[in-house]
Amino acid sequence: MIETRNLVKAVDTSEGVLTILKGINIRIEAGESVAIVGASGSGKSTLLGLMAGLDGASSGEIILDEHVLSELDEEQRAILRGQVVGFVFQSFQLLPSLTALENVMLPIELKGDPQAREKASNLLDRVGLAERWHHYPNQLSGGEQQRVAIARAFATEARVLFADEPTGNLDTATGSKVVDLLFELNREFSTTLILVTHDERLAARCDRQVRLVAGEVVDAEQTEEAVSA
Amino acid sequence: MPESSSAKLTDSKPLSNLFALALRLLWRDWQGGELRLLFVALVMAVTSVTGIALFTDRLEKALLLESANMLAADRIVSGRGDLPREVIEEGQARGLRTAEIISFASMAFSNSGNMLVSAKAVTDAYPLRGDVIIADEPFVRGRPVQTGPPPGEVWLESRALPALEIDVGDTIFVGEAELNVSQIIIAEPDRTGGSMMDSAGPRLMLHMDDLEQTNVVQLGSRVSYRYLFAADTIEELDSFEEWFRAREEWRGRYYMRDIREESEEVAEALERAESFLLLGSLFAVLLAGVAIALTAKRYSERHYDYVAILKTFGCTSGQISFIYLTIQLVLATGAVVVGWFLGWLVHRIILVFLESLLLVSLPQPDLQPYVVGALTAFICLLAFALPPLLALRETPPLRVLRKDMSQQKIGANVLYVFGILGTIFLVYWYSQDFELTAILVVSVSAIAIFLSLISYFFLRSSGSAGMKAGSAWLLAMTAARRRRKQNVLQVMVFSVTIMSLLILTLLRTDLIEEWQAQLPENTPNHFMMNITQGQIEGIENFFAENGIEGNQFYPLISARVTRINGDIPEPGDEEQVSVGGGTLTENAQLDDVDLDEGVADTLTTPQTDAPPVNTEEATTGGRRVRGGLSRRQVTWAEELPNDNLVTDGDWWGVESEPGYVSIEQEYAGWLGLQIGDRLEFEVNQQVVTAEVSSFRSVRWDNMQPNFFIIFSPGTIDHIGATFLSTALMEQEQKILLNDLIRLFPTMVIIEIDELIEQIQTIIAQVTSAIELISILVLLCGALVLLACVNASLDERFHENAILRTLGAGRKLILTSLLIEFASIGLVAGLIATIGAEASVYYLQEEVFEQEFALHYWVWIAGPLLGMLIIAGLGVNSTRKVVNISPLNVLRRVI
Ligand SMILES: Nc1ncnc2c1ncn2[C@@H]1O[C@H](COP(=O)(O)OP(=O)(O)OP(=O)(O)O)[C@@H](O)[C@H]1O
Ligand SMILES: [Mg+2]
Repeated sequence: MIETRNLVKAVDTSEGVLTILKGINIRIEAGESVAIVGASGSGKSTLLGLMAGLDGASSGEIILDEHVLSELDEEQRAILRGQVVGFVFQSFQLLPSLTALENVMLPIELKGDPQAREKASNLLDRVGLAERWHHYPNQLSGGEQQRVAIARAFATEARVLFADEPTGNLDTATGSKVVDLLFELNREFSTTLILVTHDERLAARCDRQVRLVAGEVVDAEQTEEAVSA
Repeated sequence: MPESSSAKLTDSKPLSNLFALALRLLWRDWQGGELRLLFVALVMAVTSVTGIALFTDRLEKALLLESANMLAADRIVSGRGDLPREVIEEGQARGLRTAEIISFASMAFSNSGNMLVSAKAVTDAYPLRGDVIIADEPFVRGRPVQTGPPPGEVWLESRALPALEIDVGDTIFVGEAELNVSQIIIAEPDRTGGSMMDSAGPRLMLHMDDLEQTNVVQLGSRVSYRYLFAADTIEELDSFEEWFRAREEWRGRYYMRDIREESEEVAEALERAESFLLLGSLFAVLLAGVAIALTAKRYSERHYDYVAILKTFGCTSGQISFIYLTIQLVLATGAVVVGWFLGWLVHRIILVFLESLLLVSLPQPDLQPYVVGALTAFICLLAFALPPLLALRETPPLRVLRKDMSQQKIGANVLYVFGILGTIFLVYWYSQDFELTAILVVSVSAIAIFLSLISYFFLRSSGSAGMKAGSAWLLAMTAARRRRKQNVLQVMVFSVTIMSLLILTLLRTDLIEEWQAQLPENTPNHFMMNITQGQIEGIENFFAENGIEGNQFYPLISARVTRINGDIPEPGDEEQVSVGGGTLTENAQLDDVDLDEGVADTLTTPQTDAPPVNTEEATTGGRRVRGGLSRRQVTWAEELPNDNLVTDGDWWGVESEPGYVSIEQEYAGWLGLQIGDRLEFEVNQQVVTAEVSSFRSVRWDNMQPNFFIIFSPGTIDHIGATFLSTALMEQEQKILLNDLIRLFPTMVIIEIDELIEQIQTIIAQVTSAIELISILVLLCGALVLLACVNASLDERFHENAILRTLGAGRKLILTSLLIEFASIGLVAGLIATIGAEASVYYLQEEVFEQEFALHYWVWIAGPLLGMLIIAGLGVNSTRKVVNISPLNVLRRVI
């Protein structure tokens, strides 16, 4: 489903070139759930953004759903995102001027699906927000907003779901409820799930973990041992 | 390998969905109030442009009509003696409507009396424009007709009837013709546009066919011939005029005129008003444009997150542009419709104000103003709003992960370039004047650079100055410094806005003041000439008895400069110097009718300007030195006449000595005179010498007696002169003219009351128009100020919420906001004042041809107003910042 080959990301800063990712090689099969873990600043979000096609790599290759991202321009990457990818973010990223329902409907409508309303309301039911359809994001709590965001992520029946610290802004209890929901839906829709997290328990629920240290993947087996230990 | 499978990536999002999404976003933003300011700014632009265009369109048409009515035609051909038939035949061949007029002074006789009348023979088609107002009895309101009297009849002005002791229906003799008095003339359209012959006495109008029978018009007698032309289109008139002007041999003998040459006051008032209206609508559009730019920029900044999210959902840049274009177009369309309506309303309101003043009903406007209004909205949007909105498409989708990812690709410079190009286009489009556009562009950029430098340094230095003050000061100054870049922009916007408003206000005030000073309410409206020394007392008594306001009597005598310091004068080029116009006789009037020298002299001096130059083609830019070295009507006086200012040397004062002379300054310049030069004059065949003791400036447009040359008392008194005076006679006093003429039969009276009234009417109209435009521009300015304050709100909201969570009190924050806004307003007001005075100086010198004087009050009012307005607006709209709970503010930030 997703593969990176010698992925390098470098940015220009005032103190010269900063290499954030230093040759990443990972392969994620369809239906797999993978946690990207590592210390703050190790490059997790950067890697996620690259794999999702939100940004361009400095060198190396990313293959997402059989498309070589470096061969696509931003327009084509956008279309690819629309067709293949869904997102859940730490800061929810709901459109503040749309209601919960409209937020979920938005990506479905953009695809031209005439049953947007139906699908969206089903999903909102599914995440337990049946009575909150017409509320605006600022009328919802953080956990509720994140549930709307999850409903929205699954709305387009995306095959790959990227989540950047989906529980980062939530308390433990709410966080684990949201995570339950995420995995539930993930199984139901048999999506490929890639999530970035600091939360070891959340990471442990994934099929596999990829640990980043200063922009490099440390041995996967070592990682597994570290986790099981 | 899965490589190169990108061909599959075709977009399936239907346009209708994007459109629906755009409408929904529009609706939500509208409800959230985000788009309202942008909408209002667009509406303002459309309203002011449409309103002004509608109004000027109609006013222009009306004034053209009205002024055509003053001529009874669109074009008039006159000249010395008989006119070539060829002219009228050519006019007829071109399909123009034509008429002929012959006017002459003549005696009319009844059985019991006689009187000097201004006779006017007209052909059937007269008048081509406007109405003759006639009545069945004297001194009543009449009815309009578009004809003169039929053959065998004469129409008389009311006051001739008592003088001749006749009634309507009686017969009178004009020369050898016996004619029936069938109607009374209450008014005629071209009464004021006539020649000297039309001011000789009450009007008598007869048919051209009866003229021969009278036997009064013979070769060499004092007769003024006119051909009248009218056409439906300006083009026909222009091409006819071109044909006429191509005839070299007629130059200097025959003249074609329209209203612009007919009344300099009206032409000047119109020209200035047009410039002002143009400037006003330009300012209105530019200010609205700035408001649009500011609000659009803020709107798009608030939408970066939207776009990033939409992009993660797979929206391409093209689709983002589509969505935001749709939003803008729908918004603009709404604004155009509302703006059209409001613009229409505005022009209706002006019309209601003016209805009572306008003598003609206004012609319907065409659709042009609406087109102009709509185009303005879209061009404004294109130039000011589109760039920031299009920059949205470049929002990196990565922004969903990293908030600090900002717009880099379309730099601010591109935005400015768009705005500047749009502005230049609009200026050129409105003014159709390349030079004006170039001047405006250069000066505005100079001002902008100057302003940004000044405001940058002001804000820089204010930081350290505030350090020592209390903590609110400290807070305000650190805030001001932190936002230095935005504040420089704000100060620029504020000062340009305040500057525009000051410029318009100053121009408006000066223009209106000048007009009011030019023809105040009680301007004398009758000239009396050819008065002998012995008659003065009698006339003064007559005025006193009848409650007529009389004025000073000026002696009048014709003189010629023969030597300057003993040399023959060598004056400068006539065309290039604009020396005060010839006076009434010096102007063609009298040459026109071939008056003999003696009469010409007596009729001379009043600079009425009224029925002006027909001896010469109008030259560009001002008056010309007519007959510079030929005779001038001169006077002597102890006191400096009103409206004259000594520009060099000294006025002789009360204890004057003979032998001095004061010269009008431009005339003096043209002759190359210096103070102290000895001039030799020929006055009535006698040689007189006098020393130049002063130069004077003269108001040529006040329709009062004005003189190029004034001697000190005692210099030429012995030579003998006639006298000239003026009087103000109300409509109901005009009947007294009969008695006056009977008592002083040699006196010549020139009536300019109708002319003055017409000019006052037009000026009043133009004044109201100017007032209204000023109000519109003020509104636009207020909008910009509001938009600019609001543009900085988001950040302040956030910042102050954080400050408050850190424990800063409401009062402290409010005070610091007040200080910050007030100091920005003060700086902006000061800069605006400097800029406004400079611009007004330039505009008055170059465009409005007025004398510039510093406006002291502005130097206090400008900065003070800037401070009060900005502080008021700022604190008012940021009060929310401190009243809203910090939690709510922080929650708003996604
Ligand atoms: N555009 C950029 N310009 C400069 N530095 C960048 C940029 N993007 C990322 N970085 C730097 O690269 C490093 C990795 O960033 P990244 O956001 O991927 O970290 P992360 O692993 O997600 O950290 P966290 O767990 O705190 O979210 C950081 O030190 C960050 O400052
Ligand atoms: Mg991160």
